[in-house]
Amino acid sequence: MHARLDQLLSLRDGAPVDARLAAHVAGCADCAATLAGVSSMRDRLRALPVTAADVAGGWAGVQARLAARERGLRRRATVATLAAAASVATLALLAALRFQESPAPAAAPAPVSTTVAELRDRSQALEALLAALPERPAVAREATAVPIDNLESQVQWLDHQLSLAADTLPAPQAEQLWRDRVEVMSSLVQLRYVEAQRPVL
Amino acid sequence: MSAFLDSDVPADVLAKARLGDAAAQEAIYRAFERPVRTLARRLVTGTAAAEDVAQDVFVEVLTRLEQYQGRGSFAGWVRSISVNKCLMHLRSPWRRGLNWVEALARFDPELQPDGPASSCAGDSVDLERALARLGETARAVVWLHDVEGYTHAEIGALLGGTASLSKSQLARAHARLRELLDHHGVGTPCMPVSTSC
Repeated sequence: MHARLDQLLSLRDGAPVDARLAAHVAGCADCAATLAGVSSMRDRLRALPVTAADVAGGWAGVQARLAARERGLRRRATVATLAAAASVATLALLAALRFQESPAPAAAPAPVSTTVAELRDRSQALEALLAALPERPAVAREATAVPIDNLESQVQWLDHQLSLAADTLPAPQAEQLWRDRVEVMSSLVQLRYVEAQRPVL
Repeated sequence: MSAFLDSDVPADVLAKARLGDAAAQEAIYRAFERPVRTLARRLVTGTAAAEDVAQDVFVEVLTRLEQYQGRGSFAGWVRSISVNKCLMHLRSPWRRGLNWVEALARFDPELQPDGPASSCAGDSVDLERALARLGETARAVVWLHDVEGYTHAEIGALLGGTASLSKSQLARAHARLRELLDHHGVGTPCMPVSTSC
Protein backbone atom coordinates (compact mmCIF):
# COMPACT_ATOMS: atom_id res chain seq x y z
CA MET A 1 0.00 0.00 0.00
CA HIS A 2 1.61 3.24 -1.17
CA ALA A 3 1.41 6.57 0.59
CA ARG A 4 -1.32 9.06 -0.31
CA LEU A 5 -0.39 12.51 -1.56
CA ASP A 6 -1.57 14.23 1.62
CA GLN A 7 0.59 11.85 3.66
CA LEU A 8 3.60 12.60 1.47
CA LEU A 9 2.96 16.33 1.88
CA SER A 10 2.91 15.85 5.66
CA LEU A 11 6.19 13.96 5.41
CA ARG A 12 7.66 16.75 3.27
CA ASP A 13 6.58 19.39 5.79
CA GLY A 14 8.02 17.52 8.74
CA ALA A 15 4.60 16.92 10.26
CA PRO A 16 4.18 13.83 12.47
CA VAL A 17 3.48 10.74 10.36
CA ASP A 18 3.20 7.06 11.10
CA ALA A 19 6.66 5.50 11.45
CA ARG A 20 5.64 2.59 9.18
CA LEU A 21 4.61 5.08 6.50
CA ALA A 22 7.94 6.88 6.71
CA ALA A 23 9.78 3.57 6.50
CA HIS A 24 7.74 2.57 3.46
CA VAL A 25 8.45 5.82 1.63
CA ALA A 26 12.17 5.46 2.35
CA GLY A 27 12.18 2.07 0.69
CA CYS A 28 9.70 2.67 -2.14
CA ALA A 29 10.97 4.18 -5.35
CA ASP A 30 7.53 5.39 -6.48
CA CYS A 31 6.69 7.06 -3.18
CA ALA A 32 10.17 8.57 -2.93
CA ALA A 33 9.78 10.00 -6.45
CA THR A 34 6.39 11.53 -5.62
CA LEU A 35 7.82 12.97 -2.42
CA ALA A 36 10.68 14.49 -4.41
CA GLY A 37 8.09 15.84 -6.84
CA VAL A 38 6.04 17.69 -4.23
CA SER A 39 9.23 19.06 -2.68
CA SER A 40 10.36 20.23 -6.08
CA MET A 41 6.96 21.83 -6.71
CA ARG A 42 7.27 23.86 -3.51
CA ASP A 43 10.74 25.03 -4.54
CA ARG A 44 9.46 26.02 -7.97
CA LEU A 45 6.54 27.94 -6.47
CA ARG A 46 8.90 29.81 -4.17
CA ALA A 47 11.14 30.59 -7.11
CA LEU A 48 8.37 32.20 -9.15
CA PRO A 49 9.29 35.79 -9.98
CA VAL A 50 8.01 38.55 -7.73
CA THR A 51 5.70 41.02 -9.44
CA ALA A 52 7.62 43.95 -10.85
CA ALA A 53 7.58 47.24 -8.99
CA ASP A 54 6.64 50.67 -10.31
CA VAL A 55 3.29 49.80 -11.76
CA ALA A 56 1.96 52.83 -13.56
CA GLY A 57 0.13 55.03 -11.10
CA GLY A 58 0.40 52.57 -8.23
CA TRP A 59 1.35 55.07 -5.52
CA ALA A 60 -0.79 57.77 -7.12
CA GLY A 61 -3.75 55.38 -6.97
CA VAL A 62 -3.17 54.72 -3.26
CA GLN A 63 -2.89 58.46 -2.60
CA ALA A 64 -6.15 59.07 -4.46
CA ARG A 65 -7.90 56.42 -2.34
CA LEU A 66 -6.50 57.89 0.86
CA ALA A 67 -7.73 61.35 -0.18
CA ALA A 68 -11.17 59.98 -1.08
CA ARG A 69 -11.36 58.22 2.27
CA GLU A 70 -10.43 61.44 4.06
CA ARG A 71 -13.13 63.35 2.15
CA GLY A 72 -15.65 60.63 3.06
CA LEU A 73 -14.77 60.88 6.76
CA ARG A 74 -15.09 64.69 6.68
CA ARG A 75 -18.45 64.44 4.91
CA ARG A 76 -19.65 61.92 7.48
CA ALA A 77 -18.56 64.20 10.31
CA THR A 78 -20.44 67.10 8.73
CA VAL A 79 -23.59 65.01 8.33
CA ALA A 80 -23.30 63.83 11.94
CA THR A 81 -22.88 67.40 13.19
CA LEU A 82 -25.90 68.59 11.23
CA ALA A 83 -27.96 65.64 12.42
CA ALA A 84 -26.91 66.25 16.01
CA ALA A 85 -27.75 69.96 15.73
CA ALA A 86 -31.18 69.12 14.33
CA SER A 87 -31.81 66.65 17.15
CA VAL A 88 -30.76 69.14 19.79
CA ALA A 89 -33.01 71.81 18.28
CA THR A 90 -35.96 69.39 18.22
CA LEU A 91 -35.40 68.31 21.81
CA ALA A 92 -35.02 71.93 22.90
CA LEU A 93 -38.30 72.83 21.23
CA LEU A 94 -40.11 69.89 22.85
CA ALA A 95 -38.70 70.73 26.26
CA ALA A 96 -39.70 74.39 25.89
CA LEU A 97 -43.24 73.35 25.03
CA ARG A 98 -43.40 71.09 28.09
CA PHE A 99 -42.13 73.87 30.38
CA GLN A 100 -44.82 76.22 29.04
CA GLU A 101 -47.54 73.69 29.80
CA SER A 102 -46.25 72.92 33.29
CA PRO A 103 -47.73 74.49 36.46
CA ALA A 104 -45.76 77.07 38.45
CA PRO A 105 -42.94 75.45 40.41
CA ALA A 106 -43.60 74.77 44.06
CA ALA A 107 -41.73 76.77 46.66
CA ALA A 108 -39.89 73.72 47.97
CA PRO A 109 -38.15 71.20 45.67
CA ALA A 110 -40.38 68.26 44.98
CA PRO A 111 -39.21 64.95 46.43
CA VAL A 112 -37.74 62.57 43.91
CA SER A 113 -40.53 60.28 42.82
CA THR A 114 -40.19 56.55 42.73
CA THR A 115 -40.57 56.59 38.95
CA VAL A 116 -37.70 59.03 38.51
CA ALA A 117 -35.56 56.93 40.81
CA GLU A 118 -36.36 53.83 38.78
CA LEU A 119 -35.60 55.60 35.52
CA ARG A 120 -32.33 56.86 36.95
CA ASP A 121 -31.37 53.31 37.96
CA ARG A 122 -32.19 52.01 34.51
CA SER A 123 -30.18 54.79 32.97
CA GLN A 124 -27.19 53.91 35.15
CA ALA A 125 -27.53 50.25 34.23
CA LEU A 126 -27.45 51.19 30.56
CA GLU A 127 -24.38 53.36 31.22
CA ALA A 128 -22.68 50.31 32.73
CA LEU A 129 -23.62 48.21 29.70
CA LEU A 130 -22.24 50.86 27.37
CA ALA A 131 -18.99 51.04 29.33
CA ALA A 132 -18.61 47.27 29.06
CA LEU A 133 -18.73 47.36 25.26
CA PRO A 134 -15.43 47.55 23.36
CA GLU A 135 -14.13 50.96 22.31
CA ARG A 136 -15.44 52.32 19.06
CA PRO A 137 -13.41 51.20 16.00
CA ALA A 138 -11.13 53.62 14.18
CA VAL A 139 -13.00 52.83 10.98
CA ALA A 140 -16.76 52.59 11.38
CA ARG A 141 -19.69 51.87 9.12
CA GLU A 142 -21.61 54.95 8.09
CA ALA A 143 -24.91 53.15 8.69
CA THR A 144 -24.17 52.90 12.42
CA ALA A 145 -21.68 55.72 12.98
CA VAL A 146 -24.05 58.61 12.11
CA PRO A 147 -26.96 57.45 14.32
CA ILE A 148 -24.52 56.73 17.16
CA ASP A 149 -23.09 60.26 16.95
CA ASN A 150 -26.64 61.57 16.88
CA LEU A 151 -27.72 59.60 19.96
CA GLU A 152 -24.59 60.61 21.88
CA SER A 153 -25.44 64.26 21.20
CA GLN A 154 -28.97 63.68 22.49
CA VAL A 155 -27.65 62.11 25.69
CA GLN A 156 -25.33 65.09 26.20
CA TRP A 157 -28.18 67.52 25.74
CA LEU A 158 -30.45 65.61 28.16
CA ASP A 159 -27.66 65.49 30.75
CA HIS A 160 -27.21 69.22 30.31
CA GLN A 161 -30.92 69.82 30.93
CA LEU A 162 -31.01 67.51 33.93
CA SER A 163 -27.96 69.15 35.51
CA LEU A 164 -29.25 72.71 34.97
CA ALA A 165 -32.57 72.12 36.71
CA ALA A 166 -31.70 69.25 39.03
CA ASP A 167 -33.37 70.76 42.11
CA THR A 168 -36.12 72.92 40.64
CA LEU A 169 -37.46 70.67 37.90
CA PRO A 170 -41.11 69.69 38.43
CA ALA A 171 -41.59 65.94 38.82
CA PRO A 172 -43.42 65.38 35.50
CA GLN A 173 -40.69 67.19 33.54
CA ALA A 174 -37.92 65.40 35.40
CA GLU A 175 -39.62 62.09 34.77
CA GLN A 176 -40.00 62.88 31.07
CA LEU A 177 -36.36 63.89 30.74
CA TRP A 178 -35.19 60.71 32.49
CA ARG A 179 -37.58 58.65 30.39
CA ASP A 180 -36.13 60.25 27.24
CA ARG A 181 -32.62 59.51 28.51
CA VAL A 182 -33.42 55.84 29.10
CA GLU A 183 -34.87 55.51 25.60
CA VAL A 184 -31.93 57.23 23.95
CA MET A 185 -29.42 55.23 26.01
CA SER A 186 -31.20 52.01 25.13
CA SER A 187 -30.96 52.79 21.41
CA LEU A 188 -27.34 53.82 21.83
CA VAL A 189 -26.41 50.55 23.57
CA GLN A 190 -28.13 48.53 20.83
CA LEU A 191 -26.36 50.38 18.03
CA ARG A 192 -22.99 50.22 19.77
CA TYR A 193 -23.49 46.49 20.21
CA VAL A 194 -24.25 46.09 16.50
CA GLU A 195 -21.19 48.16 15.65
CA ALA A 196 -19.00 46.02 17.89
CA GLN A 197 -20.33 42.83 16.31
CA ARG A 198 -19.67 43.98 12.75
CA PRO A 199 -16.32 45.79 12.71
CA VAL A 200 -15.00 47.16 9.43
CA LEU A 201 -11.70 45.41 8.72
CA MET B 1 10.05 31.94 0.19
CA SER B 2 7.73 34.78 1.13
CA ALA B 3 8.78 38.07 -0.42
CA PHE B 4 7.49 39.79 2.73
CA LEU B 5 10.44 38.47 4.70
CA ASP B 6 12.83 40.55 2.61
CA SER B 7 10.90 43.77 3.21
CA ASP B 8 10.96 46.10 6.17
CA VAL B 9 10.96 49.78 7.07
CA PRO B 10 12.93 51.54 9.83
CA ALA B 11 11.11 52.49 13.02
CA ASP B 12 11.58 56.23 12.40
CA VAL B 13 9.87 55.91 9.02
CA LEU B 14 6.94 54.17 10.69
CA ALA B 15 6.73 56.91 13.32
CA LYS B 16 6.70 59.64 10.64
CA ALA B 17 4.10 57.77 8.58
CA ARG B 18 1.85 57.55 11.65
CA LEU B 19 1.96 61.33 11.83
CA GLY B 20 0.86 61.57 8.22
CA ASP B 21 4.23 62.26 6.60
CA ALA B 22 3.62 61.61 2.88
CA ALA B 23 7.25 60.73 2.12
CA ALA B 24 7.30 58.13 4.92
CA GLN B 25 4.01 56.68 3.71
CA GLU B 26 5.43 56.38 0.22
CA ALA B 27 8.53 54.67 1.66
CA ILE B 28 6.26 52.04 3.21
CA TYR B 29 4.47 51.63 -0.11
CA ARG B 30 7.78 51.23 -1.96
CA ALA B 31 9.09 48.73 0.60
CA PHE B 32 6.03 46.48 0.36
CA GLU B 33 4.77 47.15 -3.14
CA ARG B 34 6.26 44.03 -4.67
CA PRO B 35 5.30 41.46 -2.00
CA VAL B 36 1.77 42.87 -1.64
CA ARG B 37 1.17 42.96 -5.38
CA THR B 38 2.72 39.51 -5.82
CA LEU B 39 0.44 38.01 -3.18
CA ALA B 40 -2.61 39.72 -4.70
CA ARG B 41 -1.68 38.56 -8.20
CA ARG B 42 -1.31 34.97 -6.96
CA LEU B 43 -4.50 34.81 -4.95
CA VAL B 44 -6.87 37.05 -6.90
CA THR B 45 -7.92 36.19 -10.43
CA GLY B 46 -7.53 39.01 -12.94
CA THR B 47 -4.77 41.60 -13.07
CA ALA B 48 -7.07 44.60 -12.59
CA ALA B 49 -8.82 43.02 -9.61
CA ALA B 50 -5.47 42.07 -8.06
CA GLU B 51 -4.12 45.61 -8.45
CA ASP B 52 -7.36 46.94 -6.95
CA VAL B 53 -6.98 44.68 -3.92
CA ALA B 54 -3.30 45.63 -3.58
CA GLN B 55 -4.19 49.34 -3.46
CA ASP B 56 -6.87 48.59 -0.87
CA VAL B 57 -4.23 46.82 1.21
CA PHE B 58 -2.05 49.94 1.29
CA VAL B 59 -4.99 52.16 2.21
CA GLU B 60 -5.72 49.78 5.08
CA VAL B 61 -2.09 49.62 6.17
CA LEU B 62 -1.54 53.39 6.06
CA THR B 63 -4.78 54.26 7.84
CA ARG B 64 -4.30 51.68 10.59
CA LEU B 65 -0.63 52.26 11.37
CA GLU B 66 -1.43 53.33 14.92
CA GLN B 67 -2.85 49.84 15.50
CA TYR B 68 0.52 48.22 14.85
CA GLN B 69 1.86 47.85 18.38
CA GLY B 70 5.29 46.52 17.48
CA ARG B 71 4.41 42.97 18.49
CA GLY B 72 5.80 40.76 15.72
CA SER B 73 7.40 42.10 12.57
CA PHE B 74 5.86 44.94 10.63
CA ALA B 75 6.23 42.81 7.48
CA GLY B 76 4.15 40.08 9.14
CA TRP B 77 1.49 42.64 10.05
CA VAL B 78 1.34 43.93 6.47
CA ARG B 79 1.18 40.37 5.20
CA SER B 80 -1.75 39.45 7.45
CA ILE B 81 -3.68 42.51 6.20
CA SER B 82 -2.83 41.55 2.62
CA VAL B 83 -3.98 37.95 3.05
CA ASN B 84 -7.21 39.05 4.73
CA LYS B 85 -7.96 41.56 2.00
CA CYS B 86 -7.39 38.96 -0.73
CA LEU B 87 -9.59 36.38 1.01
CA MET B 88 -12.29 38.97 1.67
CA HIS B 89 -12.25 39.79 -2.03
CA LEU B 90 -12.63 36.11 -2.93
CA ARG B 91 -15.50 35.71 -0.47
CA SER B 92 -17.38 38.85 -1.51
CA PRO B 93 -20.82 38.19 -3.06
CA TRP B 94 -19.98 40.60 -5.88
CA ARG B 95 -16.85 38.59 -6.65
CA ARG B 96 -18.69 35.26 -6.55
CA GLY B 97 -21.20 36.66 -9.01
CA LEU B 98 -18.41 37.11 -11.53
CA ASN B 99 -17.29 33.49 -11.39
CA TRP B 100 -19.07 32.63 -14.59
CA VAL B 101 -17.21 35.39 -16.43
CA GLU B 102 -13.94 33.89 -15.30
CA ALA B 103 -15.07 30.46 -16.37
CA LEU B 104 -15.47 31.89 -19.87
CA ALA B 105 -12.08 33.59 -19.64
CA ARG B 106 -10.46 30.20 -19.06
CA PHE B 107 -11.21 29.46 -22.69
CA ASP B 108 -9.17 32.46 -23.77
CA PRO B 109 -6.21 31.01 -25.79
CA GLU B 110 -3.87 33.50 -24.13
CA LEU B 111 -4.65 31.96 -20.76
CA GLN B 112 -4.22 28.35 -21.81
CA PRO B 113 -1.09 26.46 -20.78
CA ASP B 114 -0.50 25.55 -24.42
CA GLY B 115 -1.42 29.00 -25.71
CA PRO B 116 0.58 31.02 -28.22
CA ALA B 117 3.18 32.23 -25.73
CA SER B 118 3.88 28.80 -24.36
CA SER B 119 6.33 27.64 -26.95
CA CYS B 120 8.88 30.27 -26.03
CA ALA B 121 7.97 30.64 -22.38
CA GLY B 122 10.02 29.33 -19.51
CA ASP B 123 9.19 26.92 -16.72
CA SER B 124 7.97 29.68 -14.42
CA VAL B 125 5.43 30.88 -16.99
CA ASP B 126 4.04 27.36 -17.33
CA LEU B 127 3.82 27.04 -13.58
CA GLU B 128 2.18 30.46 -13.26
CA ARG B 129 -0.42 29.43 -15.83
CA ALA B 130 -1.06 26.14 -14.11
CA LEU B 131 -1.40 27.99 -10.81
CA ALA B 132 -3.86 30.42 -12.37
CA ARG B 133 -6.03 27.51 -13.48
CA LEU B 134 -6.47 26.11 -9.98
CA GLY B 135 -9.66 26.80 -8.09
CA GLU B 136 -9.50 29.87 -5.87
CA THR B 137 -9.39 27.96 -2.60
CA ALA B 138 -6.81 25.45 -3.78
CA ARG B 139 -4.65 28.26 -5.18
CA ALA B 140 -4.88 30.25 -1.95
CA VAL B 141 -4.01 27.20 0.14
CA VAL B 142 -1.03 26.11 -1.94
CA TRP B 143 0.38 29.64 -2.02
CA LEU B 144 -0.18 30.42 1.65
CA HIS B 145 1.24 27.08 2.77
CA ASP B 146 4.07 26.37 0.36
CA VAL B 147 5.28 29.92 -0.24
CA GLU B 148 4.13 32.12 2.65
CA GLY B 149 4.69 29.40 5.22
CA TYR B 150 1.27 29.46 6.89
CA THR B 151 0.37 26.35 8.89
CA HIS B 152 -2.67 24.25 8.04
CA ALA B 153 -4.33 25.39 11.25
CA GLU B 154 -3.83 29.05 10.31
CA ILE B 155 -5.12 28.52 6.78
CA GLY B 156 -8.09 26.53 8.05
CA ALA B 157 -9.00 29.37 10.39
CA LEU B 158 -8.63 31.97 7.62
CA LEU B 159 -10.94 29.97 5.39
CA GLY B 160 -13.47 29.44 8.15
CA GLY B 161 -12.73 25.71 8.33
CA THR B 162 -10.27 23.32 9.88
CA ALA B 163 -6.68 22.20 9.33
CA SER B 164 -8.07 19.13 7.55
CA LEU B 165 -9.72 21.35 4.96
CA SER B 166 -6.38 23.00 4.29
CA LYS B 167 -4.57 19.64 4.05
CA SER B 168 -7.05 18.19 1.59
CA GLN B 169 -7.01 21.36 -0.52
CA LEU B 170 -3.20 21.31 -0.59
CA ALA B 171 -3.13 17.70 -1.79
CA ARG B 172 -5.75 18.53 -4.41
CA ALA B 173 -3.79 21.57 -5.56
CA HIS B 174 -0.58 19.58 -5.93
CA ALA B 175 -2.33 16.82 -7.84
CA ARG B 176 -3.92 19.36 -10.18
CA LEU B 177 -0.68 21.28 -10.73
CA ARG B 178 1.13 18.08 -11.55
CA GLU B 179 -1.64 17.05 -13.90
CA LEU B 180 -1.64 20.40 -15.71
CA LEU B 181 2.12 20.54 -16.06
CA ASP B 182 2.55 16.91 -17.10
CA HIS B 183 -0.38 16.99 -19.49
CA HIS B 184 1.23 19.83 -21.40
CA GLY B 185 4.68 18.26 -21.31
CA VAL B 186 6.32 20.81 -19.11
CA GLY B 187 6.46 18.90 -15.85
CA THR B 188 9.70 18.04 -14.21
CA PRO B 189 10.94 14.48 -14.76
CA CYS B 190 10.78 13.75 -11.02
CA MET B 191 6.99 14.16 -10.91
CA PRO B 192 4.94 11.04 -11.62
CA VAL B 193 1.55 11.44 -13.31
CA SER B 194 -0.61 9.62 -10.77
CA THR B 195 -2.01 11.49 -7.76
CA SER B 196 -1.19 8.62 -5.44
CA CYS B 197 1.36 5.91 -5.92
